[in-house]
Amino acid sequence: MSVTHIDDKIKRVDAIEKARGEAKYLSDLKFDSMLYSRLIRSTIARGRIEEIKVPSLPEGYYFISAKDIPENGKNALKMIADDWRCFAEGDVKYVGETIGILVGSDRGVLDKLYNEFEVKYLEEAPVISIDDAINNNVEPLCGENNVMCSLVSDKGGDINDALSKASEIIEETIETGFQEHVHLETNGAVATIEDGKYVIYASAQCPFYIRKSICGLLGLNPEDIVVKQTVTGGAFGGKEHFPDVLAGPLLVAESIIKKPIQLSFDREEDMLYSVKRHPSKVVFRTGVDSDGNILGSDIKVYYNCGAYLSSSYVVLQRGVFHANGVYNFPCTRIEGYGMATNTFPSCAFRGFGAPQTIFAIETHLNHIARKFGLDPAIYKKKYFLKKGDETVTEGHIVEDVKLPEMMEQITSASDYFRKSAEYGYGSGKGIGISFYNHGGAFTGNGEQAIIKAKLKLVKKGDKFIVLCGQTEMGQGFRTALRKIVASTLEVGMDDVIFDAPNTDMVPDSGPTAASRSTMVVGNLGYRAALLMKEKMGEENAEVEVQYEHPDGHPWDQKTFKGDAYLGYGWGAACVEVEVDKLTNEVTVKGIWTSHDIGKPIDELIVHGQVNGGVMQSLGYAAMEKMENKNGHFKQSSMSDYVIPTSMDFPKQEYFFVDNPYPWGPYGAKGMGELVFNGTDAAYVDAVERALGIDCKKIPIPVEDIEGLRK
Amino acid sequence: MVNETYIPSTLEEALKIRAEVHAKPLAGGSDLMVQYRRGTGVVPVFPFPVMIISGLKELKGIKKEEDGSVVIGALTTSAEIAECEDVPYFVRKAASLMGAISLRNSATIGGNLGNASPKGDLPQPLILLDARVILESTTSKREILVDDFIKGSKKTDLRDDEIITAVRIPEVKYTYGYYRKIGTRKANAISKLSMSALLTLEDGVIKDFRVASGAAGPKIARNKDNEAKLIGKKLEDINSLTQDIVKTHDETISPHAMATWRRNTTSRMLEYFLSEVSKGGEGRIIE
Repeated sequence: MSVTHIDDKIKRVDAIEKARGEAKYLSDLKFDSMLYSRLIRSTIARGRIEEIKVPSLPEGYYFISAKDIPENGKNALKMIADDWRCFAEGDVKYVGETIGILVGSDRGVLDKLYNEFEVKYLEEAPVISIDDAINNNVEPLCGENNVMCSLVSDKGGDINDALSKASEIIEETIETGFQEHVHLETNGAVATIEDGKYVIYASAQCPFYIRKSICGLLGLNPEDIVVKQTVTGGAFGGKEHFPDVLAGPLLVAESIIKKPIQLSFDREEDMLYSVKRHPSKVVFRTGVDSDGNILGSDIKVYYNCGAYLSSSYVVLQRGVFHANGVYNFPCTRIEGYGMATNTFPSCAFRGFGAPQTIFAIETHLNHIARKFGLDPAIYKKKYFLKKGDETVTEGHIVEDVKLPEMMEQITSASDYFRKSAEYGYGSGKGIGISFYNHGGAFTGNGEQAIIKAKLKLVKKGDKFIVLCGQTEMGQGFRTALRKIVASTLEVGMDDVIFDAPNTDMVPDSGPTAASRSTMVVGNLGYRAALLMKEKMGEENAEVEVQYEHPDGHPWDQKTFKGDAYLGYGWGAACVEVEVDKLTNEVTVKGIWTSHDIGKPIDELIVHGQVNGGVMQSLGYAAMEKMENKNGHFKQSSMSDYVIPTSMDFPKQEYFFVDNPYPWGPYGAKGMGELVFNGTDAAYVDAVERALGIDCKKIPIPVEDIEGLRK
Repeated sequence: MVNETYIPSTLEEALKIRAEVHAKPLAGGSDLMVQYRRGTGVVPVFPFPVMIISGLKELKGIKKEEDGSVVIGALTTSAEIAECEDVPYFVRKAASLMGAISLRNSATIGGNLGNASPKGDLPQPLILLDARVILESTTSKREILVDDFIKGSKKTDLRDDEIITAVRIPEVKYTYGYYRKIGTRKANAISKLSMSALLTLEDGVIKDFRVASGAAGPKIARNKDNEAKLIGKKLEDINSLTQDIVKTHDETISPHAMATWRRNTTSRMLEYFLSEVSKGGEGRIIE
């Protein structure tokens, strides 16, 4: 076996078994006398449960609900807060809220019983949209004003002073919609008992989250439950906390039935009854002088959190901390409000709150530039953050910011300036540009204060086993971590073993989320390998490393002041389009991106992430429309919730800049979310220019473009 | 719950089952299997008897008749139609853009007509071409216009003892043709709107003009009185009649959702077609 070098291009270690269909996903797993299950869910957005009419159950069939939680248990799924109930009790707060779980051996019989269930409600007026929540016309869902969480971030003095000196205040509201993850594999989990312990098999990002979340249902400790990650066919944040919502009812059922029980959603269930990206509304009041120079921006950010908090407060924080984009304005004030509504709880989705506000600021700046007859690229460039600049949390940018170089790469490759001048506004052709960033890893000192990641490296003969909680979900981390460890040890990839985590076997290295895996846990792998190199002569050896916080990143979690992130990934994108003025159909002619991800750990993996992130971002802007009427999502299949195919956005040219990150393995920093964060704004900019329209809300499928045309 | 399924091996047998128990024909299954699915791991259950007719050889294949018409067996798939040069452009094009490749390999023309979805891809060009559907029972065989067969959204004139056996497309000569489908995306897409049009010129006189709109109302919209306004006219007359024809066509369609876009786009496409045609030149497909 030849030695693996960090610069080698590596074929993904899981590619062949997945491409051949040999990988065993959750619903492929068969256990002796396994039972199946269906969730019984609320069909209304808000109301009291008056009666649950359980159909007559044949022998061996069970209906498990809140009444089955033991006395020492608590009906709560512990995510960041523990407000999300495992089973609705007394009332329901959203369409799709779990009321109970129906268990039995035959899925045909379960389907029949499912259709015979009848729940009687006393309906109450629901709060559905952000505007409903703000207007507060019905009984509030949370507190007095539906505000579930909020924060303020500001810098550069009093915003009202700054705005009072402006010759004009430009007011604008930018909105984004729900987005569904559409991971190829739907959600699923199995609960069983092995060697006297509860075991959850799950298609999931964060096995340790699951055991923490559900143990309290039975009055247990996290260690009393084993979670084993199964091959996970995509997640995008949709399997960060949401698997808890499947595992909770399964665990309660398991405690009574004591046979393996599978719960696997079909596509329609997965679309209608799972978490989504937070819809947003961002309200700007930006003061400019007579030349269009920005004196200050007063920004209000509203996210639709749904009925339970889940991860929304952290999502909102990230949204607020990214709300001024990659820019340094003299004065900024950002207020963020997480609004409670009777929709399915919103949760993590690639970008975790940053894409919404970045889209908003990019689009807002494009509109100001256009108003003053300036090219958006030139206009934005003068506000680019630089090393040492103060952030909106009164922290500082600690790294070199390569945005000018990145802008040069994409503008030359796309011939942006010629096309920008030539196409103008309304010619049917347009080229758009955007700039963005993404703070790597957990917000503030979360890595240090909350997660405290650990990783173990074990040597057995000439094999090295990596033990940590990170999961492969299609992003390529299993390959990346093996590569980091192998090339540090100067051995081959095949000598390094890194399997799907089992919470009883591996130390908790934190969630696979927040673009932290390569940057934080990859670095643990690197450090462990360095230590192991000292023990290469031993037949068997073991080293364990723990996260160490780099010096010079002050953070106060109470006031949200300091360095909100340990470092940022940076991005720039150009998108060129032609719009058919007969039909409003948009044809993307070219996509050019440049990213600063420190250093790519593997060119092939990184290429895949860029392609996928850019496609998902363009889908978000162009076509992915998820509407909610009275609490019900209207799109329920892959034919009415449309995600792009390679035919829609076929051609991408991508660049990187070399900017090694001192605390990441081989200089790498987070990139999985960064690549989602900005192409949407470049696309909308291009479409606006092609048609001479102003767009303040995405997505913009053909019918929505019609409403914007004069 | 009914779970009665038949698998006839000849058309004769199928017609007999159809007459006796009125079993619903299931061909490619791309509509019925989806409509009656019950979730992972369980097969669909139909609330009516079903017969799987996909094995009936009599209903497969495409034939060109002596009179120039093309007869397409009801079980011919969209993929086969898209590849056959005997089939007129409009129908081939529509078949080639239907859903995904896997769907085109199983979905049949008979099923697409029988399902009568306003978003169905094939009825629109078939109605443009005055195609007829051939319906057989144990006691009868009739041929009616597709336009008369489809009575509304998901409603047809099919009798409970009949099976769609074929579609006959008459030979239609045209000088200028137009077909557009606007899908939900560039591939694997359901139709959001479609339109086809044709115009035939002989010795400088317009002999034929037709326009059909799909996904713009409960059924495919054609208005023969409106089309007749151009018959006997010359190319140079088109511009003065365009506004009236576009307006009348707009009154013919009746979109419910996305109405503004569907109406405006239909009008813009028709206006564009007429404007391109009015410029004259060689016969062609207008892109």
